[in-house]
Amino acid sequence: MPMILLDCDTDIPERQKHVYLKAPGEDTREHLPLSNAATIPGTLSERGCAFCGAKLVIGGVLKDTIQMIHGPLGCAYDTWHTKRYPTDTGHFNMKYVWSTDMKESHIVFGGEKRLEKSINEAFDEMPTIKRMFVYTTCPTALIGDDVKAVAKKVMAERPDVDIFTVECPGFSGVSQSKGHHVLNIGWVNEKVGTVEPEITSPYTMNFIGDFNIQGDTQLLQTYWDRLGIQVIAHFTGNANYDDLRGMHKAQLNVVNCARSTGYIANELKKQYGIPRLDIDSWGFNYMAEGIRKIGTFFGIEDRTEALIAEEYAKWKPELDWFKERLKGKKVAIWTGGPRLWHWTKSLEDDLGVEVVAMSSKFGHEEDFEKVIARGRDGTYYIDDGNELEFFEIIDLVKPDVIFTGPRVGELVKKLHIPYVNGHGYHNGPYMGFEGFVNLARDMYNAAFNPLTKLAGIDIRGDKQIAVKEAAE
Amino acid sequence: MTSQVDELYGYVQERCLWQFASRTWDRNENIEGVIGKAIDILTEKELTLDTPQDRLFYADAKVMVADFRTRFEWINSVGPAQARDLLHSLRDRLIDIAITQSKNRELNHSLY
Repeated sequence: MPMILLDCDTDIPERQKHVYLKAPGEDTREHLPLSNAATIPGTLSERGCAFCGAKLVIGGVLKDTIQMIHGPLGCAYDTWHTKRYPTDTGHFNMKYVWSTDMKESHIVFGGEKRLEKSINEAFDEMPTIKRMFVYTTCPTALIGDDVKAVAKKVMAERPDVDIFTVECPGFSGVSQSKGHHVLNIGWVNEKVGTVEPEITSPYTMNFIGDFNIQGDTQLLQTYWDRLGIQVIAHFTGNANYDDLRGMHKAQLNVVNCARSTGYIANELKKQYGIPRLDIDSWGFNYMAEGIRKIGTFFGIEDRTEALIAEEYAKWKPELDWFKERLKGKKVAIWTGGPRLWHWTKSLEDDLGVEVVAMSSKFGHEEDFEKVIARGRDGTYYIDDGNELEFFEIIDLVKPDVIFTGPRVGELVKKLHIPYVNGHGYHNGPYMGFEGFVNLARDMYNAAFNPLTKLAGIDIRGDKQIAVKEAAE
Repeated sequence: MTSQVDELYGYVQERCLWQFASRTWDRNENIEGVIGKAIDILTEKELTLDTPQDRLFYADAKVMVADFRTRFEWINSVGPAQARDLLHSLRDRLIDIAITQSKNRELNHSLY
């Protein structure tokens, strides 16, 4: 089956390169959706910007760090509180938002003085906080504000603070993926190796690409504690700024979200010789496999087998209860990128569902190689899907549940199709054994919620007034 | 033998993230490393685990071989020479799909 031109894309035929319907016997040597490419004019993309990829996904997770956004207020507000990554120290990162609140006069006359003032104000107002990320945004990058020079000046005047600058304005890439990249490479080159962590275990690792969404990191940390493994840094779930400066001391890098953090894992291997182990942290079978590999690496297989057995005994019956009821449900996954390949087989194997359509906002071709290798025949694989394509795909595959974000989720709710928040979760954590039971429960509640269908019934019947769309 | 390689190849494509590393040289190193350790396990050769990378290849290979033994019972009765041949064929097919004929445009970027 060739790449697909959907009916809604007739006027933007370039979209055909981004939509693939897998046929039996085909593989990625024949067809691979074009991805990490500029959004085509005329398509209503669901993507975020490069700045968002750095701040919302990675930096904003840190629990002891001011996130100073050098730009207009909206850049700060719109990347605040749209993801839930709690911390074990009081959710400082979610309570506050910081911005230099750039106005027209600052754009005309330059914003460096305003940035310096804002940095000092923030540290003065929060005297226990000594760490900061500073981000450029589109306007402050365009006027050429030298944020590194400002950060250097403040650090010279306040020797107890440390500041990391992230220069990836929204326009600097085709999607949020560019922000992941810039932050990863900047951090490993500028900050890793500047703190020597205290080593408390013969087994040390970094856990890379977990963002503590609704407690993912904290749940998995209970496993590492039970196994006696010291996690030097979580990049960046529930992490402190200085934890991440000591990443060079780990013996192993365990990578979950390879798309947003694979870069730093690759650089840590290249620069410090730390091997990279990619695992899937969602799903029983996958989680057990990842833990087994970590156990083998450290030579502690007895401990890991005991942990897996305990977790299976505790949670597998509950998973099976949901599996019995979810069997045969059709699912679409429309998320960022890696969750397509993390989830397609774990949902199918552990919960008995069929994944019939997948769409990625910012995945690269590597992500599509992974997901097409794992995914079913007859499933749609879409890069940078747009709203009209979602409508058409829904008609084609008729999913029972859609995993997606709140924006697309609100859209499908209007069609009375249930959605589960595939980014920030409904009621997580979703990682690990207990987490996957949470995911199954949310999926069950979505699929069997009678209100979804009832909400589609209009008791006014024929008396309702039809609203015409402007285009009609 | 082709159908046996098909089964092993189908398993690796579906399960193993190490074949899809970011760049050509990483994919090559992983495929050679993990398949090499898997051959050592299947042929009961003494394992070399001198470096952290050796230990990681072994960890990946150990899980893969355990799954091979459970899913494809025929592998438990193949001799060392046949095991080597099978896994060399598997390696060649992985290199073909993940490197040689991959359509991934980022594989040969010099930087990460």
